[in-house]
Amino acid sequence: MRTVKEPGSAHSGLSDWYWQRLSAVVLAFLLPLPFFLMLMVFSGAVDQQGLLDILDHVASRVLHTLLILALMVHAYMGLKVILEDYVHMLAWRIPLIATMLVVMGGFGIWWLALIWAWA
Amino acid sequence: MNEQPVKYHRPLSPRISIYRWRAPMLASIAHRASGVALVLFVPLYLWLLHGMTSSPDHYDATLTWLHSLPGKCSLWLVGVALVYHFSNGLRFLLIDVGWGESRDMMRFSALVVLLIAVFASLLFAWLLFL
Repeated sequence: MRTVKEPGSAHSGLSDWYWQRLSAVVLAFLLPLPFFLMLMVFSGAVDQQGLLDILDHVASRVLHTLLILALMVHAYMGLKVILEDYVHMLAWRIPLIATMLVVMGGFGIWWLALIWAWA
Repeated sequence: MNEQPVKYHRPLSPRISIYRWRAPMLASIAHRASGVALVLFVPLYLWLLHGMTSSPDHYDATLTWLHSLPGKCSLWLVGVALVYHFSNGLRFLLIDVGWGESRDMMRFSALVVLLIAVFASLLFAWLLFL
């Protein structure tokens, strides 16, 4: 990294790399939270009212929204790299990446709707 | 173009059938596998979130499913994938900022994150199934 001087001919060579890392750092802070919450619900330490109180809080909603955005960026970049590496036919690769982005957008919107739905 | 570049038939990304089985190679391919597993868990997470935030009956049904064998196996899988992807992700970030870039350090840190994943898989199996 320290030896990279030029950003490449398109001058956007750092863009994917940067977004992948930025979203990774955000996820590293945020993703453990819902996982631990899920374990607490599983073990019975938090009941439904407790869970709703946590999820309803405006801070949780904002953090959850940030998590969704970072997750979408991160998952899109990650799956894109995997498809680019293993799918060599451009006629398959480009529609696959596009489909993935649209499906992911759909799940993201559904997720946001779930988070912000309850009054 | 004056000269045709020499073509090397070497993959730039981890290939199970071509790359030698070494700890850093395993760490890299496992990062992809765990990443895909985590993406596949998202629809299930949304289904759980949807079930647990609606009526109390729906909540109980969702919790009952989570305690069933498929539910526990899903939790185990996502737990192990998350711990591994998290640990190896931090390793990648540290390598990105220039820490542990030597071959020996790459091998050592790959071994460390793989051992963390093995430990996590045993811990989650113990917590969920015993």
